[in-house]
Amino acid sequence: MILTLVFPLLLLGGAVLAAQSSINGRLGAKVGVLASAWLTFVIGAVVTFLLAFFFEPAHSATLFSVPKWQLTGALFGVVYMLAIVFAVPRVGTAAATVAVISGQLIMSLLVDHFGWLDNDRLPLDPSRLAAMALLAGALLLIYQSNARRERQTASA
Amino acid sequence: MQQIATLLFVLCAGMGLSVEAGLLGPLGEQVGHLSATLSIFLVGGLLLTLAMVFIGRPPLTTLFQQPRWLLTGGLLGPIYVVVLTLTTPLVGVGMTMVGILCGQIGASLIIDHFGLLGSERRAIDGYRLLALALIFLALWLIY
Repeated sequence: MILTLVFPLLLLGGAVLAAQSSINGRLGAKVGVLASAWLTFVIGAVVTFLLAFFFEPAHSATLFSVPKWQLTGALFGVVYMLAIVFAVPRVGTAAATVAVISGQLIMSLLVDHFGWLDNDRLPLDPSRLAAMALLAGALLLIYQSNARRERQTASA
Repeated sequence: MQQIATLLFVLCAGMGLSVEAGLLGPLGEQVGHLSATLSIFLVGGLLLTLAMVFIGRPPLTTLFQQPRWLLTGGLLGPIYVVVLTLTTPLVGVGMTMVGILCGQIGASLIIDHFGLLGSERRAIDGYRLLALALIFLALWLIY
């Protein structure tokens, strides 16, 4: 029951990510990759600051007291945003989205397998290996779809 | 060829995103999920501000001449974070990720198909439907 209520919310959460890639890609094509990524992070910081300031329940630790290596996630976030803004105008939203997701899932399977970042070890089994192959296949298909479209535009 | 290089680059960026999530989860448990997300946007925003000042000519005037809806990308990321924060305790991480990925892939195909949000039209064809099926199969195998 709760899933029927929550699932549309989750779909919305995913849809805004795709919309964000698309909007940022479009903006990046007009004003440059760096400026588009910059604006996204600055607006994001303003909005999350307001949310955290007013709605975050008190925790025993703060951002200033945790070990500094825990704060390095932003480096990866910046690279991701630059990559998306660069890629979307060139390969389309779907291809970029599928590539990101494949990278995420493949990496998370590797993290599980080797127990990186203090995670429990969850070795790769045949079904997880098959999943990696399927993701690579999906990416190849979207690439094929783009390549065929380009051939058609070229011949038209 | 250039497409393949771009896709591989994005794939690597996606791998980085998993590392980010791996750091963000435990951090969120300690300081709260909104604060953890704030750290990402704040540090990222400050680093990019430095880059803007020192690399090239910041196109600030052209940036703010764009239609306002083009500048709203930064509002959407926090919506995703709020959804994650609300739903993960209700249905668990696995279900949350599957739901998010369905929404993300579905919406990206629809955006391309209709050329929404100013993107180029790339119609849904057999290849794309098959790719969608493979992704769902992979998700089912993982979770």
